[in-house]
Amino acid sequence: MEGRGFVSKRRYLASFIIATVLFILIVLVSYSFSYVELRRVSNLQEEVAYEIFDDKLDYTLFGKDVCFQESFEKISNDLNFQGRIIDDLENKFGKNDEGVLFRKKFYTLVELEHFEFIKLLNDRCDLGMSTILFFYSNDNTDLGRSEEVGRLLDSVHSRNSDSLMIYSFDVNLNSDLIEKLKSKYNVVNSPSIVVNEGEVILDPKNIEEVESRLGDFSGFSENGSSIIYLN
Amino acid sequence: MDFIQLVIYISIYVGLFATSFYVLSFLADKKRPKELFSDKELPKVSIVMPCYNEEKSVLATLKSITSSNYPKGKLEIIFVNDASTDKSLEIARKFKSKIVKVFDRKKNSGSKAAASNYGFSKATGEIIVSMDADTIVDPESLKRMVRFFKNKKVMAVTPAMILMDVKGILARVQHVEYLMGLFLRKAFAAVNAIYITPGAFTAYRKSFMDKYGVYEEGNITEDLEMALRIQSKGYIVENCPEAPAYTVPMYSFRDLLVQRRRWYFGLIDNFLKYKRVISTKYGDLGAFVIPVALFSILLALIVTGYLFFKLVFDIRKEIDFLQTINFDFGSLYDMNLYIVERSAYHLVSNPIVLFVLLFVFILLFYLYYAQKKVGKSFELLINVPIFFALFAILFAFWWMVSIFYAVFVGSVKWR
Repeated sequence: MEGRGFVSKRRYLASFIIATVLFILIVLVSYSFSYVELRRVSNLQEEVAYEIFDDKLDYTLFGKDVCFQESFEKISNDLNFQGRIIDDLENKFGKNDEGVLFRKKFYTLVELEHFEFIKLLNDRCDLGMSTILFFYSNDNTDLGRSEEVGRLLDSVHSRNSDSLMIYSFDVNLNSDLIEKLKSKYNVVNSPSIVVNEGEVILDPKNIEEVESRLGDFSGFSENGSSIIYLN
Repeated sequence: MDFIQLVIYISIYVGLFATSFYVLSFLADKKRPKELFSDKELPKVSIVMPCYNEEKSVLATLKSITSSNYPKGKLEIIFVNDASTDKSLEIARKFKSKIVKVFDRKKNSGSKAAASNYGFSKATGEIIVSMDADTIVDPESLKRMVRFFKNKKVMAVTPAMILMDVKGILARVQHVEYLMGLFLRKAFAAVNAIYITPGAFTAYRKSFMDKYGVYEEGNITEDLEMALRIQSKGYIVENCPEAPAYTVPMYSFRDLLVQRRRWYFGLIDNFLKYKRVISTKYGDLGAFVIPVALFSILLALIVTGYLFFKLVFDIRKEIDFLQTINFDFGSLYDMNLYIVERSAYHLVSNPIVLFVLLFVFILLFYLYYAQKKVGKSFELLINVPIFFALFAILFAFWWMVSIFYAVFVGSVKWR
């Protein structure tokens, strides 16, 4: 065989540098989109919280008739979106990311504010809005079932979007608020749902199991007040 | 990060590294001075065309090669009728002249290699061109290719193989694949790493065949073996992208599978035969180009296989889910403005999607190069999306079948 050398060894070094720079650059670009989204969600959360507080104060301080306000529908969509995107951000940044954890806790707070407000509307205005509290887990053992129940609830919501609000709570989130909620509604395992503050349904298997309870508001009266007392 | 994600990211990195290397090699090669024959220096060329039942195409093939503007006094065409049972011989005889010599073998040789070798034995040119009876060439192609033989180390020159009569989904996939090959073959040539010389139209130096032998008759991909033999002897295989040679695609799924099974089985068989070439002693070819090709095939098999089985599993899971909602498809999507934002976020925040976009851009660059060399094709607007949708799964399937044959059967047939 006649001798055969490399055409240019420097070219390998140049290729290595180009490939590495491109690889890192694209990963960074994708992460930068996530940071932008996290900022947007942060702003959105603050706007939603502000709107809920604003509506509630109009009622409690100034006696405004809350029955004619229409902002809750938009707020519901905003809340739904926030919950989803926070889950996405959690997948991206990891379960221990401080920024995402804070947003998640804040989201829980906003959800409960909204929940309380819907109860108020049901009570004062006979709104007939059903509520589902969804306790899910993102632990590897329960994640699969939690995702499936989440999708089932999406369908339930889609079919009853005018008369249903769903609030999701991550039971693995280190939050006193969620622990108190679990205790209040006797939630032990996940995924579980509480429809209209009635009994706990563990791991619902089909749409009928959930929808059959939507019109039943007896849980509200059993719980006594439209306001959740967490302590 | 799970195993499959790791494999995907490794595949992406290897792809980026290899692409960078090929693009840099391609750009550097443009500046490399090339030794080319002038018109007066062009040597005598023998076109060897074995033919078995090609009555539909042989007329156009012979017309195209006899219309070549290669100096007629330096050209001979050796037509080998390999016991065709159709009108191939009759058609070829109409071209019989000083240039076109027709040989009629009464008994079929049993392989294209054997029929070609018979033709090679009759050839008197310094350069021998192996040509299929269903290939059509541009009038300038032959001259442009033969010019490269001025460099004494060049033992073979490959053309720009492209497809004609592109009809049907599978043909469209092959169309894009062939066009992509134009850039890659030129980049491989830049580092003397071409390891396939398409039998449909390739020029060889006769002295190499005289010294090291003609086509291996028992070899299922004799053209691939010849390329590796040239490389293993330390010579050069050149590429001339300005020399279009048109062949027909495989139209049916079965024909395409049989063709690819033969190619890939032949690749495995010949890489095993020439495994000594996979070494740093053989420069870029042995240390980089062949190992990267083999590694890419392995990764593509793992990723496509995983995605395929995941898809099957997901479909099963989806059916289970649809049962829980009584197949109410309308309830699957709660339409609001945020769906667009969240979908967009999913796309741009996933590095794999961004890498795919980058590779799409690179592919478009390859196709732009191909169009510059062989002319524009507006059909690409349809063919490129079809290629992206189908090629990976077809590629993995062909390889799985070929590996199965290599491991469990040990041989494949031509047809």
